[in-house]
Formats: sequence, structure tokens, C-alpha cells
Amino acid sequence: MKKYMFIITALLMVGCERFLIEEPKSEQSLDQFFQSAGEGRSFVNTLYKSGATGFYDPGGFTGSIAMMGGYISGLFDNEAKGERIEPLRAQNLSFNAQNMSEYLDRWWSSAYSAIATANTAIKYIPNIPGIPDAEKNQLLAEAKFFRAFNYFFLVKNFGGVPLVTEPYFNTEGIYVDRAQIVEVYNLIVEDLEWAVNQDNLSNNNFVTNNFRITKGAASALLADVYLQMSGYPLHAESNYAKAAAITKSIINSGSYQLIQNGALPEKSAYNVMRTSDKESEYVFSIEFDPVIYGVSSPSVSLPGSIRPPGLKYSRTYNAYRPTDQYIALYDETKDLRVQNQQLFFKSVDVRGEHFEFGEYAPYLFYDTVALYETARGGQDMRVYRYAEVLLIAAEAIAFTEGVTQEAVKYLADVRARAYWNTSRNEIESTLSGLTKDEFIKEVWKERYRELALDYRIWSDIQRTRLYPVGSAGGNINFVNVVGHTNPWGATYKEHHLLYPISDNEMQRNPKLEQNPGY
Amino acid sequence: MEKLTRFSYFLVLCLFAWSSSYAQKKTVSGKVTELESGKPIPGVNIIVKGTMAGVATGAAGEYTIVLPDEAEVLIFSSVGYTSQEITINGRSVIDVTLEAYVQSLKETIVVGYGVQRRSEVTGSVSVVSGRELEEHPGFNALQSLRGKVSGVKISTNSGSPTGSNRVVIRGIGTINASTNPLYIVDGVALDNIETMNPNDIQSVEVLKDASATAIYGSRGANGVILVTTKRGGTEKGLRLEYNGDFSIGRLARKIDVMNAKEFMEVQRIGYENAPIFKNYAPGQEPVIDLSDRRIFDAQGNPLYDTDWQEEATRTALTHNHQLSVRSKGESGSFGAFLNYTDAEGIYLNSWTKRASVKLVYDVSLAKWLSLGTNTTITKTWANNVSETGGGFHASRAITEVPPIFPVKWPEGTWSNSTEISGFTFEGQPNPVHRLLEEDNLANGTRLFGNLFLDFKLASYLQFRSQVGINNYLSENRYYAPTDMITVGFPDGYASISNGKQTYWQNENYFTYTREFGSHRLNGVLGASWQQNLASGNAMSARGFTNDFFNFNNIGAASTQNPSTSYANDWSMNSYFSRATYTYKDRYTATFSGRMDGSSRFGKNNKYGFFPSGGVSWLVSNEDFMRNVKAIDHLRLRASFGVTGNTEIGLYRSLATIGSGTTLIGGQRVARSFAQRLPNSDLEWERTRQFDAGIELTMFNQALLLEADYYNKLTYNLILDRPIPTSTGFGSITDNIGSVSNKGIDLKLTSRNINTENFTWSTTLNFNYNKNRIESLGLNNEDIFPGPNWVAGSQTILRVGEPVSSFWGYERSGVWGSDEAEEAAKVGAIPGEAKRSTEKTIIGKGIPDVTGGLFNRFNIGRFDALIDLQVSLGADIMQQFLATAEDRQGLTNGISTQLYDAWTSDKQNTMVQRIRHTVLSGQNLQPDTRWICDGSYIRGNLFSVGYNFGQRMLATMGLSQLRVSLSLENAFVIHSKDFKGYDPESSTWHGDNFGQNIFFYEYPKARTLTFGINVRFK
Repeated sequence: MKKYMFIITALLMVGCERFLIEEPKSEQSLDQFFQSAGEGRSFVNTLYKSGATGFYDPGGFTGSIAMMGGYISGLFDNEAKGERIEPLRAQNLSFNAQNMSEYLDRWWSSAYSAIATANTAIKYIPNIPGIPDAEKNQLLAEAKFFRAFNYFFLVKNFGGVPLVTEPYFNTEGIYVDRAQIVEVYNLIVEDLEWAVNQDNLSNNNFVTNNFRITKGAASALLADVYLQMSGYPLHAESNYAKAAAITKSIINSGSYQLIQNGALPEKSAYNVMRTSDKESEYVFSIEFDPVIYGVSSPSVSLPGSIRPPGLKYSRTYNAYRPTDQYIALYDETKDLRVQNQQLFFKSVDVRGEHFEFGEYAPYLFYDTVALYETARGGQDMRVYRYAEVLLIAAEAIAFTEGVTQEAVKYLADVRARAYWNTSRNEIESTLSGLTKDEFIKEVWKERYRELALDYRIWSDIQRTRLYPVGSAGGNINFVNVVGHTNPWGATYKEHHLLYPISDNEMQRNPKLEQNPGY
Repeated sequence: MEKLTRFSYFLVLCLFAWSSSYAQKKTVSGKVTELESGKPIPGVNIIVKGTMAGVATGAAGEYTIVLPDEAEVLIFSSVGYTSQEITINGRSVIDVTLEAYVQSLKETIVVGYGVQRRSEVTGSVSVVSGRELEEHPGFNALQSLRGKVSGVKISTNSGSPTGSNRVVIRGIGTINASTNPLYIVDGVALDNIETMNPNDIQSVEVLKDASATAIYGSRGANGVILVTTKRGGTEKGLRLEYNGDFSIGRLARKIDVMNAKEFMEVQRIGYENAPIFKNYAPGQEPVIDLSDRRIFDAQGNPLYDTDWQEEATRTALTHNHQLSVRSKGESGSFGAFLNYTDAEGIYLNSWTKRASVKLVYDVSLAKWLSLGTNTTITKTWANNVSETGGGFHASRAITEVPPIFPVKWPEGTWSNSTEISGFTFEGQPNPVHRLLEEDNLANGTRLFGNLFLDFKLASYLQFRSQVGINNYLSENRYYAPTDMITVGFPDGYASISNGKQTYWQNENYFTYTREFGSHRLNGVLGASWQQNLASGNAMSARGFTNDFFNFNNIGAASTQNPSTSYANDWSMNSYFSRATYTYKDRYTATFSGRMDGSSRFGKNNKYGFFPSGGVSWLVSNEDFMRNVKAIDHLRLRASFGVTGNTEIGLYRSLATIGSGTTLIGGQRVARSFAQRLPNSDLEWERTRQFDAGIELTMFNQALLLEADYYNKLTYNLILDRPIPTSTGFGSITDNIGSVSNKGIDLKLTSRNINTENFTWSTTLNFNYNKNRIESLGLNNEDIFPGPNWVAGSQTILRVGEPVSSFWGYERSGVWGSDEAEEAAKVGAIPGEAKRSTEKTIIGKGIPDVTGGLFNRFNIGRFDALIDLQVSLGADIMQQFLATAEDRQGLTNGISTQLYDAWTSDKQNTMVQRIRHTVLSGQNLQPDTRWICDGSYIRGNLFSVGYNFGQRMLATMGLSQLRVSLSLENAFVIHSKDFKGYDPESSTWHGDNFGQNIFFYEYPKARTLTFGINVRFK
């Protein structure tokens, strides 16, 4: 027996190479992936809830990232700004590369994570064996839409950012210089034009298309991009013509309609927006669902001091309070949107009890089912509405063709819906008599009023470099933003039109240069 | 049965004091001589064991002692000699030889893969005996180890009976990997020993330096804790032993939370101050509304004044029973160890129970073959109170739910903080409701088995093959009822998750021991295979119509969340060796090393080699030391080596695609995404450690000193290295960066008094450690590892600073009335905090000095212990001041809100002007106001024991009976700026850098324990 010991012991000392091979079981390795159309689709599906689309949920005291522009403009206030200081820094323009670094890091990492996902999809989907062309192109168009959406967000807010179009698999080439602003826009335009012009995106509206990207959604984003390019900092005014053309194609597709007012005030178009996620006015929404993917917007719709009976949220706060200066942009006698319980509200009755807020809060997000029954919000956040398409069209047509009947019609469509006791003829005739410059300013005014909770305030100030100053009766005077002092006593300098690059990102990528002024 | 009768007889007797009578006096006489020289020894003390009766030898070494009735054993002791116990056995003449004391060269200790002579161990190894662990009654072996080993910092961060301990040996030397040491229980690696029965432990050896740990290679960098459990009988026959503890615990310290009157005063002032923060049209200023008759009487005075700390805590009762049976026969020995523990926490409904059975069998099968096996089955049950950071846990609600609410309304429903009209408080369930009605049951079953075969291949060569299996099954069941706001409200939430972990290892090694004249050689050579397989699943749902089903019928809920499952594994294959050579019992050199292959690492770096070398010189064995009488033992040792850390997440070197679901078109649809930027070069974190130590025993063992200097550098740090976010990934797991820890471990024992009837010894364990980040990433980028609870990461990793540095603003005071203009520039007004404009490092969470001071006394049959623990130099970030002090009006908080708040008459304060958050917003940021000195001295344990005498034992048929009383956590002395429960804490348990950051942790108890130890004949 004893002599066998040595043999046995020798056997016990022998190794085996396979033993150390790592084979994940609940994750797939990249080379096993992209084998079927379904896998390609599931990769693209990620994009619907990543990157800049995530910037619309207002949770966590700071308000949504999309609303930061509203805070910088000083025209919106956030009751919870003492709890998370970013909105306060925005209002008093005390933000810099250091004190906002961790916050800004989140913007970049979310946006670029979505861009990387899109880059991976764009690289691998064409090679999926046996994928039908139609499906391939549809998925590629969706991926390019989201890549453009995220770059558009970055370029508007940070200027020329590193332009990454290929996925990374190792650290080679990770330090990328900042591109020129125009280069970023070129990629955005290239992606979107490809998405719009290949013919595999649906011509139906977003809702009918089951909340997947349509040709109309890509066109609306492209129109917005052209509009932004027409203004500062590129000031490439030739894009107005392209914006006019593409918005016309959306309008002429016939897939979209403005929601019309029902019985006022409860059934107004704005109340329909509050209560319904399935309207043909919505060109692109970020979808939420109380069960599958909730949104915290109901919790920011009520001031904290208001606690109606049966409120199911443990805490609410008014994160999107329009300041008096914002309210002054509306004609309080004529404009439905600024009436109580339309876009905003300043009092509410709940179970027979009356609550006066003493301030305005965003009624658009006042979701009574969530607030008083389930404590779970599910309202979609709209990114592009047909109303905005009409306003872009009106502005672009006016710039390129003059104050045509068509331009007047589009602006009047939006305005007439809000001016419930003003005749459409009166509106149209007033507008028709304007000069091109005056007309374009009327469009801008309408944008502030109509797109108040669509987060366009700061983009409009960035591209026009004009700040809207309201006075009695909804008269708006546009003044140079640089040198203007906002309602919080802070005066804009040119550098405030872009955010700083976070200090952390500067450390991570030595090739980056800071935006001037920071 | 007879034993039981005796046992009850003894219990009755215990209640009486007793006296002994001396009827017939027997005597014993004899002579005491020195072993080596045969010369008589005068002055030897001879006492009858268990009594005070004693005499001393005369000049010729002769003695005569009169024996009391119960006398059985005589103890012979003299300074400079090893004492002896001799059983009388009816003899009347007993001659004794005593051996002059030299520390026994043959004393051995357990080291990696075997035992070694203590005098030949070149590494730094600390030993704690099971007896020392038993001094501390408790559920958790790690808690019993606290302060007993210098350089081992064990932080008990929660008062919860299921709270886990953070163990850091010689400083934090890693950033992303685990800081936990490797636990080896009877040769088998375990991930933790938290649920292990402390009474099963025979001894604990802590391997601290590279010479000791390198044989564990890539898993040794954080140090290794070797646990040897008790085995079968060592003496012929049967031995039965029972240990029991019964303890009561109470909340040790209350937080100074405002009562109803103070709370309402803050509310009132908050309303009064509202116009300071916001413009109101005249007459529109908010007015306090005290009309809710559920809460206020007609005069507006609150009806209730609930002390939630009183209501939500209790006197916790814990009992713990240990029964062991051990026997030894001709060729083998057997042991059975049973344990049952039922421990309550001081929070209502917080408890854990453990039952374990351990069987040990050792047998010699042939002259050349022996076998040993042990099997432990441990079952644990617990109701865990959620407590980790953020969230509205009971530990937070206990401070924050306003005292004006009752526990239950008169109609019998639970109150919560939203049930008031006229006020808005942050909605939280009250803590009593939460504790009593939320179920969070965790069951665990551990099967731990171990079998080894020892082959004696030659007199000098042995081969051991050992197989160990650790199988752990866990089940968590959770239910939050429909009426618990923010938690289960409005339709309940249930979840069940199951986890399974199977770890196995097989290790085979040769041991060679041979002496050639003055040369002694000792070697180990072996191979190891380890594999860990883990899998689990979870389901959850909400949407119950009522609370009937609890978690027992999840399918009944209307909204099912997607169920989840996972599976992963890792494996290691290693080869290890150690060679020790000793010359003339004086000079020793050791080389050890391990070649490790791990599945966790990149394909280019699967294997790594970890070598170490150590030398030691037993100076006191040198001839020239013969005449140095004062020094009994002097040894110098030094070592250097490299160890590794593999405890990082799995699959970090691979590009993988993660999967889940998302929402499109009103439905869940599949989604996939890239998990990480892969790094196929990923390899071990390595720690290079130098250690120099001295062991000195002086004055006939009156003074023992063991001191080590160490210098550790962890390099190739596995770091989530920040990379440009433009890659789409925030970081890549990479080997870049280094952290150093330099320090001194010291253990000093002094036998202050050593007489027959009275001994007093003092042991000091002391560690000084300096931690410094030496480099990070490629460009020394700052890293913000969290915790991210309030406004960004609360810690920063920055080169030149220690890990766990706190990150925030400086608060230099509160803006004064005359500074309005300056304050306005930062959007503030007088009465708001005055802070620096940029964040900076404002403190650190790890101490410079930690230690334990143990005083042990024996007075006759009494023994006593005073155990003090010290921590110096750390700061505490009192994160909870965010909501307990800076944020006012929305919840209750601490009384500084009211008494120290800024007013125009009291401007020199750090506390901001009272401001009602709901009306006026607030102003809070992590800043120096939250930081306080975290140094403390804790009265960790005071205990006193009594050993019954032989006569009494004989009557009861026992061989040993000890009763003890101990007071744990008697007091804590800390900075008066500290407002929380206990300065040794963390609310961020899983977080490497969360130490000393508090957001309402589970408070600790002060515990009084009665213990009994009985050994039956």
C-alpha cells in the first residue's frame, strides 16, 4: 500500500490549464453577441432610456438636467435648491469647473455611454448574419438618432466636445481632442439625414409606431439641429432653409395634429397633455410607466408646504417654479396657458379642500393618480411636440421666404389654441402685418410661452443671445443676454453660454482644453 | 441522568455562601530541588490549588503543608522556575524538581500549512487563545477578537445583532479590492467567520507580514487569520462541558433629540422667520396652524410627546448555550460541540438565532496513516433591521419622526409623519411601526466539512491531502405592509431571494522535518485547487389587496417585477512552498512562496508568483547572553516579501454584454449593453512588505514585549482607473496606483504582581499606522469613490493623502448681520452658513493609533478583567447633521437646532438661523460643521469571575465551575462635538471608505452578562 502513496501523491500535484478559464454565465461575451436581429434590436433598445433621454426625469432635488437651462436663465426656481445646490449655482451664475464637477461628470458619462452604445450598434449591426435590410436600416437609423440626440445635447452645452464614432475595446486612442463645434454638428446632421432619407423609419406618428423612433421624430430633431446651427455660435444661417424644408415635410406627412381644446378649462389641450400620453401631437416622447419604468415628475409638481389629504408621496417640492419674470412673458388676460390649472397652477381643490400656493407650480406634471392613489408616476416626458415643429417652420420660413401666409398660419396654429377668446383672424392679420424681424421675434415669444416645460429656454437664449424681458400684458423685450442681470441679481458674461468642462474630466483627459472664462 | 441531578444540586448550592471546616488535618512534606543542578531551592511557594492555604520551602528546600479536606493538587511555584501542579493522590511525601525557566524552544504555533516552532517563525504572527476569546461573551468571534491583536483593527460598525465587522490588518492597502483578510479555518479558506460559533475556537493566529502570509500568495495581502477549532479529547476518557451566557442590553446612549415642546418651538420660529427668506405680500405671511385636534389640544399644545428612542428600543435579552462532549480512546479522539444562541437587538423585533453542531473525529488508521475530519452545520435565522445609509430606516425615523405623533392613534392604527393637517413633514413611517411590521428575514445554512489524511512516508517526511467544502445557502424574505408609507404603501411589497455558494478546495502537501547535528531543516511543498460556484435568484412583487399573504404567496400580487437570477464562478490553482533552516537554535532563515493562477485575471496574466524571505536571531541563546540575567528571551527578526489581492469583481478582464429589460411601447422589451472596457492585462494587486520585529522577555517573564515595524506598499493597485468619459466608460479596471502603510505594532505585557493569591497583569496592544496614497491612475487623477449620499462623493482619493479623506466645504461660521452684502454674493443672507467656495479635504476616517489595554487580575478564586479600547486620530463625518441640524422644520432633529441657532443676538455660532425647510428652503452642504474628532476610549469589557473550590466541586461531581459577570461597552469617552450614538461606526457598511461616516446607524447596547462554565467529571 505504502508504495502506491508516491504515485497517488504525484497525481495530486498535477495542474490543469482549463481550470482557470473564465466563462461568464449570466453575461455574454462580446464575440458571442450580434448573431441575430433580435440581439441587435435589444442593443438599440438600451438607447431609449440612456444618455440625454435620462436628463428629463426631475428626481433627486436638483430638478432634471434638462431644466438646468431654466435655472441658469433665472426664470425658473427650485424649492429644493438648498438641499442640492446646483440650481442655486446656476441661478446666481456661481458655477465653475470645480464646484459643479461631479454633477457635470454625470452629464458626460451618461451622454457618452449612450454614444458608445450607439457606436457599438452602428459598427456591429450591419454584420449580423442574415439580418433583412429593412430591419438593419431601421435599427441603424434609431441608433444614429440617439447618437445625434446625445451629441446635440453636448455640443449645445459644452461646445466642441471629443467626437467619438467608434466603440472602444481597449485603452488605445482614448484621449481625444475636442472637435470643432462645426465638426460635431456635421456628424449630427450626417446621422440624422441618413436616418431620415433611408426609407425604413416609419411614416406614422410616434404613438402609432408604438413609441419607436419614426421618420418624423428624426426629422424634428434634425429641424431643431438646423435651427440651433442657424444661430450662435455657428451662425450658419443657411440652415434655416433646411429647417424650413424638413419641417414642411413633417407637416405635409399628415401624421401629426395639434391637440385641440375641448371644453374649457378642464378639457383644454394643455390638460390633455397632462393626462394623456397617446396624442398625435407628440413627435418624440420619453416613455414612462408607473410599473415598468417610473418617473418622479409628480413629486415636483406640488410645493412642499401643500399637503392635500390623501397625498401618497412622502415629500413633494416645487422644482419648476416659474418666476414672476417668466409669468410676465404671458398675457395674463388672453393666454390660456398661464391660467390656473393649465400649464401651471397656483391653487387646487382636493377632496373639497382648497389649497392656495402663493406661487406657480407645474400643473403639467400634476398626476392625480400618482399623487393620490399609487405614489408611482408614469407620465411620458415629451421631447418634441408638433407645436414646436410648427414654430420652427414658422421661424425658418419667415427667415428664408419672408412672412408668408404659410409662416403666419403655423404660428397662428399654436397661438390661436392658447388665445382662446381671441379670433384666429385677428391673430393672423396682426402677424401678417409684421416685418420679417418682428415676425421672427413673435415666434421666439411663442416658443417661450408654448415650450415652457419642454426645456427650450436656454437653447433659445444660447442661439439668439437675447434674453426675454417680459412686462405687463405679455410684452416681451429682447435684450442682449451678455451684460443682462437675471432675476437673482447675477449678470451674464459670454462664457456663461457654455458650461465649463468638469475638472475631473480635464484630469482624465489631458488633451481637453477648458472653455474660455472658466 | 445522574449528571443532571448533580447539576441541579449544584445550582441550588450556588445560592449559598459556604464555609469549609477542617476536621482531620492531613499533611504532606518533601523537598524541592532544581532539575539541572539538583540543588535545593529555598522560598518556593506551595499552595493547595483552589484555596488560600500555602507555605514556602526553607533554606534546604524542605516543606511541610497541612492539607485542608478538599485538597487534591499542590502548586509549586517560584520566580525563575516553571511552576508545576502535582496531584496528591493520598501521598504524604512529595519531592519535586523544578525546571529553571527558559522560554520553551519547542513551543509551536500554527502557521500556513503546518505548525512551526515559535522561535523559528521569522514572520509576524500574533496568537490569541480560545480562552482569551471566551473572556468576551458574545455571538460573534470577531467581536471577541477586538483589541487583542496589535495592528488588527476590528470595527463593530453597528449595534445590530446581525451587523458585520470591518477587519483591517495594518491599514487599508487597497482601493477597489476587498480589505478583508483571508480566513483559514482548519485549513479551509472561508470568506468570513461572522456566523462562526466563537466557542468552537481553540486558537486564532493572525499572520501579519509577508514572511507569514506569502504562502497564501495572491490572497494574503490583507493578512491571514488562521482559526484552529477545538478537536476531540486530549485526555483519556469522556469530558463534558457546558457554557452558558445570559445577557441584558440597553441603549448605551441617547441622541439629544428634541422633545415635543422644543420641536414645536422650532416650528414656531420657522414660521416667524419665513418672511426673512422669501417676500410675502403684507398679510400673506404663513401662519402656524395648530388646529388639528388629533395632534393639538384647544390651546394648540401638542397632545403627545413621544420619545421614539424609548419606544423603539427595548431591553434586549440574549442567551447562549454551548455543550461539548469530548473523548479519547485507544487510536482516536472524538468531539461533539453544540451551540444554540438567541440574541436580541435593542431595536424592537431585531434578533438573530444560531444553532450549530460540530463533529470532530481524529483517528490513526495505521502506523503510517491517520485521518481527521470535522463537519459543522450552522443554521442562522435573523430579522435584519435595514440601516445602511440614506433611506427612511427605523434608525433614521427614531430621530426624525416628530415627537408630536403617537405610536398608534387612539383607534389603533399606526401613525406616520404625514398624518397632520396644517403642516408638511417628510413622510416616514414611525420607527415602532417599521420595526414591528416590516419583515426582513434572513436564513442561512452553512455546511462546512473538512477531511484530511496524513501519510507518514518516512520519519522525516509527511504528506497531507486535505479536502474542504463550504456550502452556504441563504434565503431572504421581505415584506413591507400596505399601510407603511414610503415602504410598502399603498399595496405592499414582497420579495424572496435565494443564494447558493459552494466552495471547495483540495490541497496536498509534503512536510519535511529533519535535524542534522546543529542544523534543523523544515520544509513544505504542495499544490492547491480552489473553486467557488455561486448562483441565486430573486423575485419580488407589489400590488397586494391586503397584508394576509406576507411573502408567502407572491403570485397573488398584481404587479410582478421581473424575476432575476445569476450564476458565476471563480477558480484558483496554486503551488506553494516554504523552507526553514535553523542553525544552533539561534539563526533561522525562511523562504516561502506561492505560484497562483486565478481565473479572475486577464489571459495574459493568469499566473503570479509571490515570494518572501525572513531571518531571525535568537539572541538570548547566545553564549554571551548567559550572564545577562535580566533577559529571559530576546529574538530579532526581519522579513520581506510580496503578497497579492485577488478580491475584485469577476470577469473584469473580459468584454461582456449585460442584459435586462426596458420600456418601449408600454411593454418590457429586452435590452443589452456593453458592461465594461475589458483589460486583458489585468493582474494581481501586489503588496511589498518589510517587517522588523523584536521579542523580548525580561525579569523572569515579568515583562514581555513584542514590537514590529512594518512598511507596506501596495502597488499594481487594481483601480477603476478614471478614463475620459468620452470613451463611454467612466473607468477601466487596471493595475495602476499605489498605497503605503507604515507603522508599528506593539504588544507589551507586564506581570505587575505575581503572588499565590494575587496576580495582576497588564497587556497593551498598540498600533500606529500611517496611510498614504502614493500614486493613482496614469496622471494621479482624483477619484471620488463615494459614498454619494449628500451632494456628491463624501470622500476623495488624492495622492499624498490617506484613503478615506473626507471631502467637503469649510464652514467658518454663519454670516453675520454686518456681512449681508458679502453673503449676497453667494446667494446667502445673514444667518446662513458661511462656507468656502470650493471643496477641500476636511478630515479623515481612519485612525492613527488604535489599541487595547487589558488588565487581568486573579485574587484567590476570583478573576477579573478590565478591557479598554482606544482609537486616536480619526475624524467622524456626521452626515446625519444634514437632516438633524442643517435641515429644519421638515423633520425632527437634534436640540442644537433650537438652542445654538443663529439669531441677531447670538451671532457667534455654527448653527444656522432656524429656517422652515417647507416654507423657506434650506441650505446644506457637507462641510466642517459635520466633522468632529473621532478619538475615543471605550470601556469595552469589565468582568469578574469566580472559580469554585475543589471541595465544592467534589460534592457536585464537577471538575470545574466558574461563574462570571461582565459589563460590555460600559462607557465611551469621546469628543463633545460628537452628536451620534457611538464613535466607532459606519452607515456605509460595504464601502471601503465609508468608515466613520454616519447617517443614523444602529446604536450600540450596554450589556450585562452572566456566564457560567461547568466541566463535568
